[in-house]
Amino acid sequence: MKKPARIERDLTSHARFSRIEPYMYLLPFFIGVIAFTLYPVINVIVMSFKEDYSYLTREFAQWGVDNYATVLNDSRFRQAIGNTLKYVVLVVPISTCIAVVVAYLLNQKLRFSALFQTAYFLPMVTSITAVGLAWRLMYNERFGIINYILSWFGVEPIGWLTQAQYSMPALVIFGIWNILPFTIILLLSGLQNIDEQYYTAAKVDGARSLRIFFRITVPLLAPTIFLVCIVNTISCFKVFSELYPLFKGDPGPFYNLYTVVYYIRYAMMEAREYGVAAAAAIILFLFIFVFTMVQLLIQKKWQHRR
Amino acid sequence: MARRRIARFFMYFFLTVGAIIMIFPFFWMFSSAFKMPTEINKFPPQWLPSSLSLVNFEKAFSMAPFARYFLNSVVVMVCSVTLTTFTTILGAFAFSRLKFPGRDVLFSLLLSLMMIPFEMLIITNYSTIVSLGLWDTIPALILPFTSSIFYMYILRNFFATVPDSLYYSARIDGSSNWRYLWRILVPMARPSLVTIILLNALASWNSFMWPMYVISSTNNRTLPWGLQVFTTEAGSSPELLMAASTVVVLPMILLFLFARKSIVRGVARGGLKG
Amino acid sequence: MRVTLEHLTKKFSDVTAVSDFSATLEHGELISLLGPSGCGKSTILNMLAGILPVTDGKIYFDDEDVTNMPPEKRGIGLVFQNYALYPHMTVLQNICFPLEVQKVPKPQRLERAMEIAKLVHVDTMMKRRPAELSGGQQQRVAIARALVKNPRLLLLDEPLSNLDARLRLEMREEIRRIQQRTGVTTIFVTHDQEEAMSISDRIVLMKLGVLQQNDLPQNLYNEPANQFVADFLGNPPINNLHGVVKNGRFELEDGSASCDFPLCEKAGEGRRVTLALRAESALVGPEGPLACEVRSIYQMGKEEMAYLRFGTSEFRAYISVEDGLKTGQMVNVALRKRGVFLFDTETGERIQ
Repeated sequence: MKKPARIERDLTSHARFSRIEPYMYLLPFFIGVIAFTLYPVINVIVMSFKEDYSYLTREFAQWGVDNYATVLNDSRFRQAIGNTLKYVVLVVPISTCIAVVVAYLLNQKLRFSALFQTAYFLPMVTSITAVGLAWRLMYNERFGIINYILSWFGVEPIGWLTQAQYSMPALVIFGIWNILPFTIILLLSGLQNIDEQYYTAAKVDGARSLRIFFRITVPLLAPTIFLVCIVNTISCFKVFSELYPLFKGDPGPFYNLYTVVYYIRYAMMEAREYGVAAAAAIILFLFIFVFTMVQLLIQKKWQHRR
Repeated sequence: MARRRIARFFMYFFLTVGAIIMIFPFFWMFSSAFKMPTEINKFPPQWLPSSLSLVNFEKAFSMAPFARYFLNSVVVMVCSVTLTTFTTILGAFAFSRLKFPGRDVLFSLLLSLMMIPFEMLIITNYSTIVSLGLWDTIPALILPFTSSIFYMYILRNFFATVPDSLYYSARIDGSSNWRYLWRILVPMARPSLVTIILLNALASWNSFMWPMYVISSTNNRTLPWGLQVFTTEAGSSPELLMAASTVVVLPMILLFLFARKSIVRGVARGGLKG
Repeated sequence: MRVTLEHLTKKFSDVTAVSDFSATLEHGELISLLGPSGCGKSTILNMLAGILPVTDGKIYFDDEDVTNMPPEKRGIGLVFQNYALYPHMTVLQNICFPLEVQKVPKPQRLERAMEIAKLVHVDTMMKRRPAELSGGQQQRVAIARALVKNPRLLLLDEPLSNLDARLRLEMREEIRRIQQRTGVTTIFVTHDQEEAMSISDRIVLMKLGVLQQNDLPQNLYNEPANQFVADFLGNPPINNLHGVVKNGRFELEDGSASCDFPLCEKAGEGRRVTLALRAESALVGPEGPLACEVRSIYQMGKEEMAYLRFGTSEFRAYISVEDGLKTGQMVNVALRKRGVFLFDTETGERIQ
């Protein structure tokens, strides 16, 4: 209504100082951004195309896509991609389903709602590597509380952390537990944005709670659910800190749980192949990029609809 | 009516079971931290320790310099949060209020940098830290975290909601940009700033991957990294490990109990980036 | 202080917001800048404040050229539509802020703030924050903050438009009172003609960045310079009958009716003209040049308003109850001297 958008120059534009003043404000911020974000991005792209890069002499043989070929032909990397995808496919849908129900319940008029919220959100603020150690203890085959509780139902002791076929489920359960708080919070804020009048209208029409949940809540929440899935997919692609404490820093009991980030670390710190690590990082980024683009697209569409 | 009562009962039942599962690992950690070595490796497991003696904590602290780790974590957190907050305020102000050529291009560049995962930057940042001669020093843990595009973006969005008229009023009264920023804008942005500071503090305290890359010597470890090293040092004494984990986890739990609403609001707002 | 604007022009990339605007404000006057939204009145205010740089032309405060002077050096007070009070500061801190910036010692600051707070009647709420005040009180605080540094010029940007109707009346009188007490030269921007008419010494009416008329309030109403001025002022709006001059008479465009009108000769044969008449200027009686049919009658308090049909056109006229008019009746309408104008239809220029 007023004209601020049209005020194209600043009031002190007469003063010579004002021309450099904005950059003075930006300088401290950009030192960090350029040195530790912008430059690394460019550098990692460049580095991924340097063949036989030596981290000691900083010399390389020639430009080329050798690093990418190495990464893609490395069975360890393929395994890492497979594991990462498996992790994503298991964690994201399951955690979203649980979170939708919990968020719906938390959104009701509850007694002790502060208490419930605290319980459900707590894992979000605690060090994942520290809590992972507690999970490690709980997963213990002989003395672990989880196997004990399962024994009530007649389940034989499971080697969660020692047997290859159970290590992925162990990681997934921990991963779901870890990502739930964040997911619930986002869905809860999505629920709180739904206008009360839809519920009132449905109740007036005599709809039952379960029907309201499936016919009104879930459809109206759908955009949020979708976005949560994408955000969680991106974060699950980067699975690493969940894995580290469970297996004492190893990727699984038989090195069977390599993930993409683990692979980058391996290529960098153990194989000392910086070019390969860079190529792997770029491939990770491409996955994330695709999902981010989808997110932005959907978000834009969603905003138009509102 | 009876039907509704049953529904409510199930609702509370479900929520309570879920809540117990969510906090159970913490309960188990705290409980194990006080157990005697004989109590911890028992089957069936013992739910509660027989006494609340701090002996495990003393032992853990004597086996590894956890006090030092704690101090390092605090120093890193305070420094990086302070620096980040400062650069964030200045950057957000410039992007929301000041006019300069290239502003919009610069801003979209920053937004696109926001989706770069930190994992992709590690390789170069590691080399940078090494070539600066900062490998295995505390500054190595602080320097890469002095500015955050994400927090700047959140704060800029708040600054942008402040009406122009406040700025022009202040300018007409003779206030400089600097004074307007600190005397008017920053006090007004307190809720947003608190959220940013809290999220930043959490991230810094729990940061694990970066210290793992750049810190090796005992004296420079922060808590999460020191704790992981301790898993080998503690050998087969889970009770010591749990005592140490408690030390890592407890400060943030307390912070959360104090500032739950701010943190939750920040996560909700930041999670979907606007 | 006298304010002189000389050929002031403001261009935003390809849009001209203000073009070749000249006016003078005498010391102690309260002038309204009036016009529909987008007419450039706020742009002029912002240029006076120094918030916007001037594209062309000059601004003088007395004899001093302030065109390129930064805002803080101009010695002006500005009150925004949304008051722009600092939400985290108390009323006292808000009022003190301009003095604080000017590094006035604290005791003087407080004394001066108290003095001005008394003048605008907010001295009892100095410890409160803006959110705890009503709209009218916030407005008073904003005025106090603008006045506290003894500005040479007070600028008010639509200060009343965020208030409800009753408060608006009250604050309008308050602004007048405060302005007269302090004697500060004041510019008041508004789009509300009634507000402008009641408060100002003079009104500057604008349209699309161009000055239309700069005059006393009653002159604007009684002697509009052009069609736009006549249309903009008055409630109900002025009646416009579009026609042509034919045989020295005024004839409706479709030829459905005609009447004698003295100014038609001046206009010249064949010229397209608009006969504009205010509702109170049409006299319904036994005699008169316009033969009309009564279409409908509305009760408006102690008066009645009739919709009269003249040829194919309709217009409003006040009538008195005693006339006892009925719908469908044929009447004659005479025109008063006041409130009846003839404009050129194409240019809007007034024919006198």
